Order: sequence, then C-alpha cells, then structure tokens
Amino acid sequence: MRLLRHAAGAVALALATAALGPAPAKAEAWDIAKAAAPYKGTELHVIFLDRPGYRAIIKLLPEFEKQTGIKVSYEIVPYENTREKEVLNFNGQGDLSIALVDLVWIGEFAENGWIQPVSKFSGDASITDPNLNLKGFFPLLLDAFGTWGGTTYGLPFDNYSGLLFYNKCMLKSAGFDKPPATWDEVMTTYAPKLTDPAKKQYGYALQSLRGETQSADSFMRMLWPFGGSLLDKTFHSNLMSKESQAGLDFRQKLMKYMPPGIVSWDHAESVNALAQGQVAMITEWSAFYPTLTDPKTSKLGDCLGVAPEPAGPAGRLPALGGFSLAVASQAPEKVQKAAWIFIQWATSDAIAKPYVEAGGVSGRTAVYDDPAIRAHYSFVEPMVASWQKGVPEFRPRFPSWPAISEIVAEFGSKIMLGEVSVEQGSKEIGTRMEAVLQKDGYYDGKKKLLQ
Amino acid sequence: MTDVPVPKPPRAHPGYGRLTPLWFLLPAVVALFAIGIYPTLFALVTSLRQYNIARVRDGFPFVGLANYATVLTDPTFWQTLGRTGAFFCVALPFEIAFGLGIALLLHRPGLDFLRALTRVSLVIPLATTYAVVGLLGRLIFNRDFGVANSLIGLFGFPAFDWLGDVNGAFAAICIMDVWQWTPFCALIFLSGLSMVPVEIEEAAQLETGSRWALLTHVQLPYLLPGFTAMLILRSADVLKLFDVVFTMTRGGPGAATELISIYIQRVGFRVFDLGVASAQALLLLVITIVLARVYIRFFYREIE
Repeated sequence: MRLLRHAAGAVALALATAALGPAPAKAEAWDIAKAAAPYKGTELHVIFLDRPGYRAIIKLLPEFEKQTGIKVSYEIVPYENTREKEVLNFNGQGDLSIALVDLVWIGEFAENGWIQPVSKFSGDASITDPNLNLKGFFPLLLDAFGTWGGTTYGLPFDNYSGLLFYNKCMLKSAGFDKPPATWDEVMTTYAPKLTDPAKKQYGYALQSLRGETQSADSFMRMLWPFGGSLLDKTFHSNLMSKESQAGLDFRQKLMKYMPPGIVSWDHAESVNALAQGQVAMITEWSAFYPTLTDPKTSKLGDCLGVAPEPAGPAGRLPALGGFSLAVASQAPEKVQKAAWIFIQWATSDAIAKPYVEAGGVSGRTAVYDDPAIRAHYSFVEPMVASWQKGVPEFRPRFPSWPAISEIVAEFGSKIMLGEVSVEQGSKEIGTRMEAVLQKDGYYDGKKKLLQ
Repeated sequence: MTDVPVPKPPRAHPGYGRLTPLWFLLPAVVALFAIGIYPTLFALVTSLRQYNIARVRDGFPFVGLANYATVLTDPTFWQTLGRTGAFFCVALPFEIAFGLGIALLLHRPGLDFLRALTRVSLVIPLATTYAVVGLLGRLIFNRDFGVANSLIGLFGFPAFDWLGDVNGAFAAICIMDVWQWTPFCALIFLSGLSMVPVEIEEAAQLETGSRWALLTHVQLPYLLPGFTAMLILRSADVLKLFDVVFTMTRGGPGAATELISIYIQRVGFRVFDLGVASAQALLLLVITIVLARVYIRFFYREIE
C-alpha cells in the first residue's frame, strides 16, 4: 500500500513538474541582475529561524542584494512561534512577502490560499532561472516540503533528515566498532552496555518535550519503522494496530536506557547530552551537525559519528522534516515577482555549495555529488541515503495536524510518564483525533483524504 | 470726575465650566474603552461565532452558544481549571504566610537603613519579567547543575529531576510563583500595618505582651482590606498565569503544569479556534468576578 502511495506521489509530482509551464531554455547563464532590474529597490519580508540554515543564507544575502538591488528584511523568530506569527500576518494582510513553510504547514497554507503555486511564475521567462530544474531537488523533499495536492508551492530550503549521531569513543570502549543498524540492536545489544546510571551515563536519548518535539520527534519516530502509522487509508486512527502498538511499546521499554526526565528534554538538551559525553546515541535532525562539530559547543571532536537512523521491522523510515520557501499571496504582484527571484536564488544549484559551506543543508542533489563536500561533511552520506526513501506524510501535512499534534503531544507524554498505558493513550489519541477530523470534514466527503 | 473702573468679581474657579470634569475623565474613559471594553465586546461576539482563522475558507458563521457548550463539556477545560485551583491553593497560603512574616519584621522599629534596603529589594522579583522568571526556573531546577538540587544535596538528598517529574514540576512552578509574589503580599501587608494608629498599637502593647493577640485583635482589621485586594488580584493573576509556566515547562511533563491559561493559549494560538478560546476566556472572566464578590463578602471589613 505504501509503495502504491509513493508511486502515486511520484506521478503527482511528475505531473506537477510538467504543469509548471513552458520550460525555459536549459543551461543558459541567468543574468539575475537583468531579471531583477524592474524590481530594484523592492523590499522583501520573511521570517527566519535561529538555526544553521538561516544563518548560512544570511551570510550570503549581501551578494544577492548587491546583484539584484532587492532588499531582504528578515525577522528571526523561535520555531514555536513561527506558525502563529505567519497565520496572524496572513489573516491581517501583513507585510510578509515570503512564507516559510514547515512541511506540516503546507496543506494549511495552500488550502487557505496564503501561498502561490510555483507555476504562476515559472512560465515567465523574464523572472525565471533557465536552470531552475525542479528535478534537481531530491524528489522526496520537493514532494514533502513544497507540494500539496499535486501542485508545487514552495522550493525546499532548510532540509533535515533524522540521523543517528553517536559517540564513537563510547561505543568503542563498550566493544562496538560500528553503530547499530536496527532498533532491535539498540535495545538488546548497544544500550544495555552503554548505560550506567551510577556514572550518569546513558545509552540513548530521545527528546520528548511536550509540543512538536513530543509528537514529531518522539511519538511518530517510533511508529513508522515498526510498520505503524497514525492514520489508516480511511483517515481513521491506526494506533491500535499491532505494528503501531509494537512501536510505542518499544519506545516505552527503551526509556530505561534514557536519562531520567527525558519527557522534559527538547533538542537542546539531547544534543548537549551527546556533546558533553553523557549520552552515547541520539536520533536528531541533520541540522544539528554544526553544533556537534563546533568545539565551542561540543567536546566530541573526532569521537562524533553519524549514521542513518536504525531500521525497524518495516525498514529504515527516518524522521523527515524541513522548510520550503513560497511566495505569499498577500504581497503585491511586483513584490511577488521579486520574491520568486529570491526563492529561486536561495534554493538554486548555483548557491548550493556556498550554502552548505556556510552551514546550510541544500535540497539539491548535485551538490552532494561533489567529493569535497562528501569528504568534509560526514553527515552528508547518511542524510542522502535517508532521502532516497522516506515517507512524505511522516507527519500528516493536512491543516488538521496542529490540532492533532497537540493531542498526540499531551497523551504521548502521559504514556511515557506512565500516567496512562500505551493502549489507553493510543485509544484516547485515536478518539480525540477522529473528532478533529470529523469536524474538519474528512469523514463526510467534504475534504479529499490528502496528507 | 474720573470713572473708577469697577473690578470684575473674580471667578470662583477660573477656566472651570460645566464640561471640565468631562475633559478630565475623557482620556481615562477612552483608554478603558480601547483596551478593556472593546476587546471584551469583540471577544463576546467572537465567542458566538465559529471563528477559526486557520480555516478562513469556512467563514465565521454565527453558532449561538455552541462554543460555550463545547467548553463546558470539554474534560480538559475542567481538568486544567482544577489544576489552576490547586496551584492557587498551594501557592497562595505560602505567599500570605511569608508575606505577613516579612511585613511584621519590617514593621518593627530599628535598623532603618536595612529596612529601607529590604523594602526596595522586595520590588525586584515583582519587577522581573514573567518569561525571565520562567527561564530562571529552568536553571534553578535543572537536574544536573540547578541550585535546587545543590540545596537539597546539603541535607543529603539525592539529585531530583524536578522538571521531568509530574509532582516535581508542579512544585517547581509553585516555588517560582511564591518567590515572585511573596514580596507583593509583604508590601500590601506592610501598608496595612502602617495604617494602624501608633497610639492604639502602643496601648495594646501595654495591655498584652502577646504578639499573637496584638496581631489578631489590633492589626488584623487593618490588614483585611489589603488582604481582600490581594486575594482578588492573585486570583485574576493565577487564572491568566502563562509566561512563567510556558517558559519553564510548556505545561508538561504530560499535563502536570498545564494551567487554564496554557490550555486557552493552545486552543487560541495553536489550533486558532478563537471562538472556543474566547468562550473559555469569558468564562474565566465570570469566574474571576464571582470570586471577587465572594472575597469581598467574606473577608472585607470596613475599619471602624
């Protein structure tokens, strides 16, 4: 069934790519200054996060502004407040000209008409890079981050895959010369040998703070590799399936090898615990690689190892996350065109290498073929491997997700704390989630079953 | 013969007319309307509509009291309200007890410089931004390097994971609230004590050596108006307490510190169901008003 879904997704993506209008002539050198000349002096407004990918593009911005005369004003906002700020801005017809779209917001932003399809601009040769080449993105990323209902809205900009970061030296001391390949190995072989509470040393940490960290990083991470999922094909809860229960039970059992209080750990705590040698393994976003290699924030040095996330009985289905940039519908036409020029530049093949070198993670395939990049950044190989196969709906991307995420976060935490059993918690999430989906019209045919 | 100019009788209040009081009142009334009444009316109208700004295509139709029915039948609303009540009942007695103790110490004569310094110091927790108090809480109750564990370690207790434990997290937010609001109670009580006529206090001291008798029979009547105001203000404040808890625990672990304001924020700004969130907020307003009336009825006494 999943294969069928992937095939359908690929076809939809191919159709969407084909529908982008007449492809501009290939491999011409694009004179971005000439394309941007009519928009010189235009000011773009966008929200950025305080993460390496944004710091990277900020470093490169002066070059864009010099070439085009388009000014990019950005506001750095904590992730937890970003959607709130953007939704309020779009409702109030604010100043944002570019939408920063998390993969789980794409359905909401597209269905509300807050972002413009790429096809609106890509047919206009005067503002479109002849080397735009949408096929140059990892298909999984373009599909998951930028495409909704077969239409492409955003281009992948800040791209993550879940990876296994580990302390090679701790593993070696425990007698392991390679990282675990499966979750079963983590539980039965690695974690027991690497955990010693008396020394405050733990085998594994899974950041599980209530919020998107609990729902996306912790709860969903343990469903897919075990063959489970949040929803079945009719959009009813699939949490009571044998596979989903196995995944959630596994998480519960694995907690004995995690630091106490893991339910209050966010990304910062997990990354820091690995960086300071308190934890041997974490599964975290690829974006944390710079933090773990920076001597100012990490003691790991050469002890840092990076591998794909362990596989479960259903295979290796790692966490998938990231952001695309899309043109905001509320912006005036002229500003929209300037925004399109910026988005193409920020996600282009041409800028990919400097972007990666500045600390970003590009969604372009070509840059990772560069042997120098592969040699210098040890996260590249496992990340590229993870992006070959994945589940775009790792977290459902429909507009109902924020409400469901709250439910999952509440009961996911309660399950981990032992306040409710895995079964009770799953039932409660299922009941409440279905009430949200019922209200949103997924069961009476009002809405297509898109996720 | 020259005309002697007759001086005009001076006006009783130069520049004062019938409309003068209106001009004095107008800024306050406009401000009150803009920041108090209009938003409340807007919330009232919103609470009667389906008003989800993340579903703009569904429109904002009038739904009568459906949002109120949703709130009143929502178990999470009652659970979070109960938790908020528990928080109030745990934190406030400590704040009152410590506040009264500090006020009585400061009311004693002598050591004027230290008393003045203490009075000024009392303002510091009150002036600290709520979010900063929450961040301080995260540091104080950190399992590995927090001050709280260092202190309990002095008495031989092992390190405790305050923010990762259901009861520990609840205790932690209570402690931070007590830290921030005890000075407020102390200052209110101190102002009450300063109203006790010196001659009455001295006469009472001649009559009895019991500090307890002095407190309950002489000073207490002067403390009750401030105490009532304190109850009203703290009730309203606890019902809308958000920043400290959100920055410290985000309502977790699980739902251990999810107070009513955190829940309303989730409904309002995560789900963006402003209709239901407005209904919740207005019900809280009603609860606050009822509590205020109850406090005045049972605690407030005019000083005779």
